[in-house]
Amino acid sequence: MLEERGLPTTVLALVLPQVEKTRPPRAVMTPFMLGRPLGEPNDPAFQRRVLMQALGLLERTNGPVILEHFPDDNPSWFDRPDWVPAVTLPAPGNPVTSQEWQAALQAELALVFPVWERFKARFGRTTVGLSGQPPEAWPGFATAFLDGELPTVPAHATPALALRFLSDDLKALYSEAVQADGGPPSARQIDGWFWRQTVAGQLLIALRKTAMASENNALKTVGGRFFVPAPFVPA
Amino acid sequence: MARLEDIPEPTRTAVREIPCPAFETTPFVTGPRLSERRVAIVSSAALIHRGDKPFDFGSGECRAVPSSWDTSDILMSHVSINHDRNGYRRDLNVLYPIDRLRELAEEGVIGSVADTHYTVMGSTDPAAMVDAANSIANALHADLVNAIVLCPV
Repeated sequence: MLEERGLPTTVLALVLPQVEKTRPPRAVMTPFMLGRPLGEPNDPAFQRRVLMQALGLLERTNGPVILEHFPDDNPSWFDRPDWVPAVTLPAPGNPVTSQEWQAALQAELALVFPVWERFKARFGRTTVGLSGQPPEAWPGFATAFLDGELPTVPAHATPALALRFLSDDLKALYSEAVQADGGPPSARQIDGWFWRQTVAGQLLIALRKTAMASENNALKTVGGRFFVPAPFVPA
Repeated sequence: MARLEDIPEPTRTAVREIPCPAFETTPFVTGPRLSERRVAIVSSAALIHRGDKPFDFGSGECRAVPSSWDTSDILMSHVSINHDRNGYRRDLNVLYPIDRLRELAEEGVIGSVADTHYTVMGSTDPAAMVDAANSIANALHADLVNAIVLCPV
């Protein structure tokens, strides 16, 4: 659309069928995961290679459709066998009531917070911040949904959105804390740890089930599609 | 992935079969050497400044991302959970390469970095984004941009 309006474009593409259908003027097809078109975090040299290949297409004249492939996987595409999570947590147990879930999440967060602080100090950033409420409020807010309540916060228009973005903040906090030390593990390692070994992951799976049984259609839709990735939805 | 075989179902099928517009023309706009280009980023990550309202579900809106924003205050508000976010948690540049562009400008590899970049939410129907494309194009022309790096997530 932008090229039609007189602007030269180059694409860092992630999905080959979409590139083949839309046929953009210039594209570099990369082998990276959805969500990371530059491939590797905290690796300026690698990112620069990707970016320069895309920018280089702007000087070519053999259009109107140029498609190149970036040849390499990013280093943390591969699992690190020696990876140790920066957070050590007990097994999540089997909370049943909302009070048990709330207590379990509070206890777990108390272990995660100090490590999260280490991540923030090391990387100078955090992606926690979409929920519109401080982490201390999360356990009570999230577990209220298990009792059929529909709380919300001023930052979001509906309870469904409030819970959707709280789930994002929970994932952010844990993903950051578990990466506080060492080089990047693979995304699969982080996700496997979160969804299988933490109270927070188990709670989001429980909230998905609650949401899908809700009479609130927004919560039903959002909970079914936007809380738990397909590989971690219980059979 | 984005090798299709590595994306779990049902996302794999959805990604492979997502309706895409079939453009009738294949425009190809040329320009000066890279060292004379003013470069902007357009991201589909629904980026917001910390504290701003996230993109609405299905929103066709376009928002500005000023170069002056601190990267630690830029958050991804995309609705989809099919994107990996673990890399972005460590480094925004993995999806929005603003620091790399600045380095290239300082070295003279590119001419300059645009004052403002733009972001949309990628899962939205492209037909709902025509107004957004027009407003982005007008703003980029006004900023004398002559190169755009599209960074879909």
